[in-house]
Amino acid sequence: MVTKYTICLLALASAAFAQSCTNPQVEASSFTSLDATVVTQIAYITEFTLKCDNPLPENYALYAEVDGKPLSAARIAENKYQVSWTEEPAKARSGVHEVHILDEEGWASLRRARRADPKATVAPLIAIQLHHPGSYSGPWVNSEVLATAISILVAYTALRNKSKILA
Amino acid sequence: MSSKGNKAFTKEEELLLQDFSRNVSTKSSALFYGNAFIVSAIPIWLFWRVHALEVSPSLAWFAMVTTASTWLLALAYRNTKFQLKHRVAVRRQDAVAREMARELADDRKMSRKEKDERILWKKNEVADYEATTYSIFYNNALFLTIVILSSFYLLRSFTPTVNYIVSLTVASGLLALLSTGTK
Repeated sequence: MVTKYTICLLALASAAFAQSCTNPQVEASSFTSLDATVVTQIAYITEFTLKCDNPLPENYALYAEVDGKPLSAARIAENKYQVSWTEEPAKARSGVHEVHILDEEGWASLRRARRADPKATVAPLIAIQLHHPGSYSGPWVNSEVLATAISILVAYTALRNKSKILA
Repeated sequence: MSSKGNKAFTKEEELLLQDFSRNVSTKSSALFYGNAFIVSAIPIWLFWRVHALEVSPSLAWFAMVTTASTWLLALAYRNTKFQLKHRVAVRRQDAVAREMARELADDRKMSRKEKDERILWKKNEVADYEATTYSIFYNNALFLTIVILSSFYLLRSFTPTVNYIVSLTVASGLLALLSTGTK
């Protein structure tokens, strides 16, 4: 009975593996917060449409990994997925963030590889490059600081000249 | 203190009196009050736009504080001008005398006394003008600096209304007080 059950599971599993995406093609668009003056977290969102040669099942799950952070991709439409995460503005570096997308099989093998070696990598199904141009966190010098500095300078000039005249 | 209509004074004496009096001409007074009003009204913008002070409920405060501050600033202008005028006159004395002497050198009909009078008059005018403008600049610079410092740093935690009233009254009051000093 047990053996039968195991075989059955294996068959199911192999059926699932067989349905993995072949020749994946991806079309991605992305968004990142640019103004850090009004937010506490920088949001990164990428949406992509996955095209495969073989038809994908309804519940085809995808996982993502960004800078060592595990994420799951949300399925938002037919063959359309979304990956999003947030970061503290201080830690959000500008430049390209590589989003590694893995299917269930790839994800499982990555977990397995990580167990032996925490730095192990597995070739992703697709890799999306998300460009974050850096966020604006206000001017270098606050306007009130600038106004104070200039007014103090002018007042100092006035005081100095007055004492010069009165000397 | 007005010497107008007093026949006992000669023209020269009148000039001297005018030179040493604290009184200012109507023109100069208008300049002082006009300037003081503008400078006292400017912080309304700062408090309205930057410190988010509601305008309509504060109109009465605006009117009261601006009036008080205009009066105090005009007082400060007048006193500072009085302090400065003599020093400026002393500093400009030689240059004005030289220039006037050159200008009047060709005029042979003019008596020496009249020339001296003209020089004195010109000296007074130059000193008056310079002291007036410098006094306005000096007091405006200090007033705005004190307003900025107190509104942004010292009174930052108070409500905008309290901040406005205290900042402006303290700034103009301090300048009026300082201007009454001898130095």
